Amino acid sequence: MDPFHNYTSYDIPWWVILGIWSFIAIGLHVYQVGFIVKLIRLGKDDDRFNSWKQRMKEFLTDWLGQRKVVEDKLAGYAHALIFWGFLMLVSDVIDLGTGGRFAKLLEIKLLGNIELVDIWNIIVEIGYTLAGIGILFALYRRLIVRPEKLKGASMEGVLILFAILGIVLTSFIVEAGYMIGENHMNNWEPIGVLFAKQMEGIDSSTLGTIIDASYWIHMILIGGFLIEIPQTKHSHLIGTIPNVMFQDHDAMGTMNPMQTDENDIAVKTDDLDFDNLTLGVNKFEDFTWRQLSDGWACTACARCQDVCPAYNSGKTLNPMQIIMDVKNYGSEHGSQLLAGEEPDETIVDRFTPDAIWACTTCYACVDACPVHIEHVPKLTDTRRHLVMEASEFPEELQNLFNNLERNSNPWGMGAHTRADWAEGLDLKIGEPAEYLFYVGCAGSFDDRNKKVSRATAMLLKEAGVDFSILGEMEMCNGDPARRAGNEFLFQMMAEMNVDNMNSLGTLKVITACPHCFHTIGKEYEKYGGKYEVYHHSQVLNDLRQKGKLEINKFEDKVTFHDPCYLGRIGGETEAPREALGGDLIEMERHGQKSFCCGGGGARIWMEEDADKRVNEIRAKEASETGADCVAVGCPFCMTMMSDGLKEIGDVKPVKDISEIMLENLNTEEV
Amino acid sequence: MDIVVLVKMVPDTESRLEIVDGKVNESGFKYMVNPYDEFAVEQAVQFKEASGGKVTLLTLFSNDTSIDTDLRKMMAIGADEAIVLRQDGYRGDRPSANAKVISGAISEMNADLVIGGVQGIDYYQGATGPMIAQMLGIPHISGVTNLEMNGDKFTAKRQIEGGLQVIDCPGPVLITCQKDMTKVRFPALKDIMMSKRKPFENREVSLNEENDIQTNECSLPPARGGGVIIDGESAEEKVDKLIEKLKTEAKVL
Repeated sequence: MDPFHNYTSYDIPWWVILGIWSFIAIGLHVYQVGFIVKLIRLGKDDDRFNSWKQRMKEFLTDWLGQRKVVEDKLAGYAHALIFWGFLMLVSDVIDLGTGGRFAKLLEIKLLGNIELVDIWNIIVEIGYTLAGIGILFALYRRLIVRPEKLKGASMEGVLILFAILGIVLTSFIVEAGYMIGENHMNNWEPIGVLFAKQMEGIDSSTLGTIIDASYWIHMILIGGFLIEIPQTKHSHLIGTIPNVMFQDHDAMGTMNPMQTDENDIAVKTDDLDFDNLTLGVNKFEDFTWRQLSDGWACTACARCQDVCPAYNSGKTLNPMQIIMDVKNYGSEHGSQLLAGEEPDETIVDRFTPDAIWACTTCYACVDACPVHIEHVPKLTDTRRHLVMEASEFPEELQNLFNNLERNSNPWGMGAHTRADWAEGLDLKIGEPAEYLFYVGCAGSFDDRNKKVSRATAMLLKEAGVDFSILGEMEMCNGDPARRAGNEFLFQMMAEMNVDNMNSLGTLKVITACPHCFHTIGKEYEKYGGKYEVYHHSQVLNDLRQKGKLEINKFEDKVTFHDPCYLGRIGGETEAPREALGGDLIEMERHGQKSFCCGGGGARIWMEEDADKRVNEIRAKEASETGADCVAVGCPFCMTMMSDGLKEIGDVKPVKDISEIMLENLNTEEV
Repeated sequence: MDIVVLVKMVPDTESRLEIVDGKVNESGFKYMVNPYDEFAVEQAVQFKEASGGKVTLLTLFSNDTSIDTDLRKMMAIGADEAIVLRQDGYRGDRPSANAKVISGAISEMNADLVIGGVQGIDYYQGATGPMIAQMLGIPHISGVTNLEMNGDKFTAKRQIEGGLQVIDCPGPVLITCQKDMTKVRFPALKDIMMSKRKPFENREVSLNEENDIQTNECSLPPARGGGVIIDGESAEEKVDKLIEKLKTEAKVL
């Protein structure tokens, strides 16, 4: 039985019909992909065409190896099987399309009786089999398990799965037909043989019809799939390739300056060329090409949505929707955009300001995405537009900006009172020392967090560390202004801080605030300041391990809440735990996967509806551990977790790592 | 419509307050634009945007502190130029002497409207504005909560005890603004940058201390006493202790 030698009832050769269909399908596919490529090329430059060796390695592990895809076991492995299966079987389309001529080319003797075509046959066979198994798992998940996030999802996913299942099954039927026709069971196609055995005994004209139909269903489905790919979330088949290949090589959480020179150093605020400067994003083409390509790489797997503190507390923001918005905006206004016209609707309109201001910049979405989509920068870039161009932002932020400008701290307390917390501790102020203890605003002005600064300073003194503080010279590191979109204010503060710290000869910095830790350690380099920055838990842990601090094992049951900018973004989850040293009870979401307290991204200074509080969600998780005490390592977590626990009626104390260490300090021997 | 806005530089509310020889020690102060004057700037810019003209900021201040950044920010809101009268030995608590210098400058400017805050948040005297009006020989309306402009006529609303007073007045007139007269905008970054290109004049003026009030002495308010938390096993015990304290210590019972 050979479908290629059958003629249709109109006496048109099969290859003519297939040729026309291929022309339509491939033509539409190429046309649509071309349109998308043109849209993405509207974006601004972002030079990621470097470190090719590293990029190839990442591509092989993340794309081919499906590294992050399989983190979600059921959906991930189902996807990986379909993906690997398709890579193995895709050449079969050429063979079927050329009437078996491709296989003929492979009839080359290799070893004994084994020909190249046999190897190819078994690879394709395994491919179809893996894909088939993957699809069955995926259907099981979508139709029977039905995880919460899939409720309300369209039927598109299921339909496509059935279509792919159709492609797999028809290929086996066609294989079997060949074997029956040639009266030879090809053992290199074992599943085909199984099918053939089932089909034996069917009379030849019925069999002919079945095989013909299977062949054409197979080809129609493949062509249809080609047409569908660029239109739906299946654009990820193509979109993920540049996305994974050109993933961000900067440290997580780092942001781009307004303007950079040829060495990637920020242009000083005094030298900014305002006539040729777009501040933030409001138009489609204000994004970089790589930010735009995210839209077509998204598969709507909703992992970002699952981990987003804003979404999970009922706010307007859904990180997945932001990515969909980029793509849909491009598709809907595509011809206008390509003609250089400006659609009435802007990107900010599409995202909505409510969603833009809801982000805590915790980067859980970016971390969760298997294909390296960068959600957070899209939101912080639109914030830049809203603050610096449009002057439209939550009223509370105006106070924040004024306070930072006048007194260099978010609360607007007198700058001259910055070192009051250290009264009686006899610390070096503004003198050169081995370490600079960069206290930060909360540690300097907030009553609760002043105690943390004192505890940290006392422990450092106890261990004989040579350190000084900046005193009144210290300023906010600028992070609150920056995450709230006021990049200019951030940069002015960064420039002043770098000047101050460099004039002191500072090289090593200790801070108890993960936002200072991140900004001074990872962002200041572009503003002329290169420092070794340590979170206090890292230094205190080191002193403990070296025996310079003797800490008794504590008896309280403690759970540790990882701050985003220390754990997930800062990459440090071990030092705080080892510094604490006791038996910790972990919350389900901890370490890299910790859940934000709700205070990041300048959210701590913005209003939050009482029924949509992120900190209450996290406080409940801490409460459910049954621990006696919640340990934190960030002044904002301190405030948010304390408030959250109070709100849910839990009286357990929230303490900084340094406070717990100080309480358990063995003073007798030292 | 040419508008002169009176802008006073006042110590930042978070400055450290010290009394030296019966006077406020102003050395080491950081200064900011008097918040009431910000309403005046915003209102003036709104009038200019509605009917054209020019908005000039006028400030009297000491010789040794730079206030460029603060005034540039006011210009970013939309004021067109700034004139700073620089005076050796300037103090913010001499309304009459200061009004004389300022009114002298305004009389050369042909203003249709002079507008400023109701008072400075440094000494809260609320006197300089009305004095300037008197010296210029123009009417003044103080503590205005809402101001409208119709041609060259102004309609001002004032909150008075138990009611609202509405006053019509032809220009030129001097208005002082009460809090919340209007919402002050946050200038976009481009406007802040553009404001650097606007005219900014520093003009030396001399000090004339005669015929003014003299501050004899200043003092800080007494430090607040700490609160007392009453300990006790039960509510009854605490109440008993409280009653005891009210009788013996506070002597109110």
